[in-house]
Amino acid sequence: MISRRYLLLRLCYSGASFIVCVTITFFLLHLMPGDYITNYLLSLSNTLPKEAVAQFREQFGLNLPITQQYVLYLENILHGQWGYSYAYGQPVLSMIFDKLCWSLVLLIPATILGILIGTVIGAWSGWKSGGKKDFAIFNIMIVIRAIPEFWWAIMAVMIFAFYLQWFPLGGYASISVLSTGLDFFDVLHHALLPIILMTFFIATGNYYVMRNSMIAVIGEDYITTARAKGLDEQTILWRHALKNALLPMITITTFQCAAIIMGNIFIETVFSWPGIGYLTTQALTNRDLPLLEGIFLLDSLITIGAMLVADVLSSAIDPRIRIGIDE
Amino acid sequence: MSRKIVLWVSVAILGLFIAVALAAPLLAPAGPYAITGKPLQAPDSDHLFGTNEVGQDIFAQLVYGARITLLFGFCSALLAVVISTSVGIIIGYYGGIVDEIVCRAIDVVMPIPMFVLLIALTTFFSPGVLQVSLLMGLLGSVHGIRIMRSQVLSVARTSFVEGAKAIGASDFHIMFRHILPNVMPLVMVKFVTTSQHMLVMGVGLSFIGMWDTSTVDWGTMIQNAYSGGGVALGLWWWILPPGIAVVGISLALALIGYSFEEKFNPRVGVNRI
Amino acid sequence: MTETKDGVAGVQEQPQSPRALLHIDGLKVTFSSRSGPVRAVDSVDLILREGERIGLIGESGSGKTVTGMAILGLLPVNAKIRGTIRYGDHDLLTAPDRTLQQIRGNEIAMISQNSGNSLNPVMKIGDQIAEPLVIHRLCPVPDARREAIRVLSELGFDDPELAATRYPHEFSGGMRERILIALALVCRPHLVIADEPTAGLDAQVRARILKLIQSQISGNRTLFLITHDLGAASFLCDRIAVMYAGEVVECGLAKEVLSLPLHPYTQGLIASLPSAGLHPIPGMSPSPASLPRGCRFCERCPAALDRCDCDHPDLFLTECGRQVRCFHYD
Repeated sequence: MISRRYLLLRLCYSGASFIVCVTITFFLLHLMPGDYITNYLLSLSNTLPKEAVAQFREQFGLNLPITQQYVLYLENILHGQWGYSYAYGQPVLSMIFDKLCWSLVLLIPATILGILIGTVIGAWSGWKSGGKKDFAIFNIMIVIRAIPEFWWAIMAVMIFAFYLQWFPLGGYASISVLSTGLDFFDVLHHALLPIILMTFFIATGNYYVMRNSMIAVIGEDYITTARAKGLDEQTILWRHALKNALLPMITITTFQCAAIIMGNIFIETVFSWPGIGYLTTQALTNRDLPLLEGIFLLDSLITIGAMLVADVLSSAIDPRIRIGIDE
Repeated sequence: MSRKIVLWVSVAILGLFIAVALAAPLLAPAGPYAITGKPLQAPDSDHLFGTNEVGQDIFAQLVYGARITLLFGFCSALLAVVISTSVGIIIGYYGGIVDEIVCRAIDVVMPIPMFVLLIALTTFFSPGVLQVSLLMGLLGSVHGIRIMRSQVLSVARTSFVEGAKAIGASDFHIMFRHILPNVMPLVMVKFVTTSQHMLVMGVGLSFIGMWDTSTVDWGTMIQNAYSGGGVALGLWWWILPPGIAVVGISLALALIGYSFEEKFNPRVGVNRI
Repeated sequence: MTETKDGVAGVQEQPQSPRALLHIDGLKVTFSSRSGPVRAVDSVDLILREGERIGLIGESGSGKTVTGMAILGLLPVNAKIRGTIRYGDHDLLTAPDRTLQQIRGNEIAMISQNSGNSLNPVMKIGDQIAEPLVIHRLCPVPDARREAIRVLSELGFDDPELAATRYPHEFSGGMRERILIALALVCRPHLVIADEPTAGLDAQVRARILKLIQSQISGNRTLFLITHDLGAASFLCDRIAVMYAGEVVECGLAKEVLSLPLHPYTQGLIASLPSAGLHPIPGMSPSPASLPRGCRFCERCPAALDRCDCDHPDLFLTECGRQVRCFHYD
């Protein structure tokens, strides 16, 4: 289906992107005032005896020339050893994975719902473009998107949690958790508002792209041809327009899924939801570079991976892009 | 018809914000840091939006904060657009190996998540608003280069460019006087939409504490109010003004951007043909 | 020179003439645009009889494509259409969507203009050709597929079974034109409208396509050819109507019009052919947004009279059965 050479080429680019990311993080670590050891050790104790510092330095290989350090670093990254957090002293990767689960609790339902809703409404809106309903929906979407996420979150908390008291003010569980353990419905109650907000935002992005795609499609000549054949509007929409309009959506959607995996910083922060976004904010406050870099590397891995998958998928599905260099 | 009204209202709102920011010293002579009242006072005749937890006038903070927020948004957008336009024009015009190299470099750099990178970068130089805005402008220009380039390509390969070359015009002359005016509409649209993104992002970054929290801008105001319990205590005047201000300017810019886009690229197709 | 009563273009009623299939009466199409109304088609009358081959000739902007689109109701929503198009019991301009859909592709079919995108890029061409059959319930799906393959072989595809599994971008321009023809003919319609079938094709391919159209659209089937290609019209058509600035300016038997054009515009058109010396008509056709009061060709006409500037000529009938919109034939 897709030529192997194309796949290989894309893999090389992805690899190159990742190496660039790792290089960036490496340099940042080394440009830090003070060095890694002193900063790390500070999290363990307040006093830093010189011998301890020298010993750690040797153990961590910080005495070696910089090129060797780079190779070591690269090896470590590839083996999953991503350093230790300054603030918590724990391995970065395991910290991130812990929080990732919580982020996913919000992200998975929001992404699925958001993509579905956005795509369907976008398709319909694009089909009816120029009409009053389209105009109304389009403007509503603009307004939703123009209002920043954190403000939506703050307003939601203010109205629904504070004034109406339908939802809790934040966190992922109530105090009762300490005695009764995690209750599914309790967590759900806490998660509902952030999920709804995230769904809105994801939906607007999908809406916009789908609508544009659909508008481009309905202007195409093959739609006129289909009409001239005597097809009714519904058939034209579902059989001819939709398939073509969905093609660009694949790339966007894959990319969106990836972008979103890294947690939504603003919504998690406002709702005090213990996911990666929240972790990022805390790391920023603590100036915890290794943790931030770990988040950065994971994010870049996921993004790079998503672009690769999206590329491969769209060339596999669109019959026009099946031309490989081999054929 | 109603589209025109929307456009003019948006432009008016934008103008209002800019005017207020410029006129801050006139509107609030005491400055944003002066403690002019009791803490957490509701709005009254002296304080249009009441006071915050320290007793500073929220209205004064709002108008002074506007300067920083707006400056951040427009500066970073300007930088991003200038870079992506110049690079786009140069590589689109010259083509060849320069184009190849830059495009491949962009291919490699595109997937890198800029937002998190930015956050990581700031851990080490405790930057001020200006530095962050320059950084954002730089990082944000990458994405736009591709778009500019394709627009430039469609212009550069047209015959009037060849005609200009034939009469001996220098490359710079062609790029500046022929290609640039043709991509100007796109540049303007990009500037408006990028300003909107940068502005909102700036408030967001400030909200999560990217720079010195003693700076007064809309993001820190919101952060202050939120973490200080503004919502939990129902002190609406503390938290609402900066938020509504952000929404206002963001909406205005978004609507202006869309109406530009529609003018230059009529998307509103009709149902048949 | 006699004036006809309502200027209906058509061969004079003769005994045992074939029945009228389509009667376009007073068709006016105006587009609303930001700069004011654009009169694309201004009062066109045309009768298409069974088995006839009629050509509608004109340059781009003359309104010929709009006329063709109007027949099948394919004009955009901002088009204001007046007049009637009678087909059987229906007026196609006011018929409900359901009726139009039944007629399209089935009884009246269109060979669309072959732009790069006239065929759905993600659908196999076999399915696209079979689609009208299935939609109009003329036969069950497996039979429709077989019929599609049969049509493909008739239209000159070497391996029709394989071709049916391919996608449009895998074919050349000439082959895509054949696919478009196949699409139009598969339901065996009574009337085929061909919109610029030779656009963008090189001389060899063009010749083959024209021969194909001639052989496929024969007998009782009516052909309505819309083109600016005089050669194609002379090859395929019995009758020709020439359009200029939204009106029919000359109408008559193809051979006669092309060998002895009466309207100054037609004369100019023929003189501008390479074979006739390549003499272009000076000036430009008027913009449909601002049409002159008198004769629309007046400005560019070498034989303009005084009254041409202020009076608008009707379609006059000459003794030899030709219709000409010119005061010289009043």
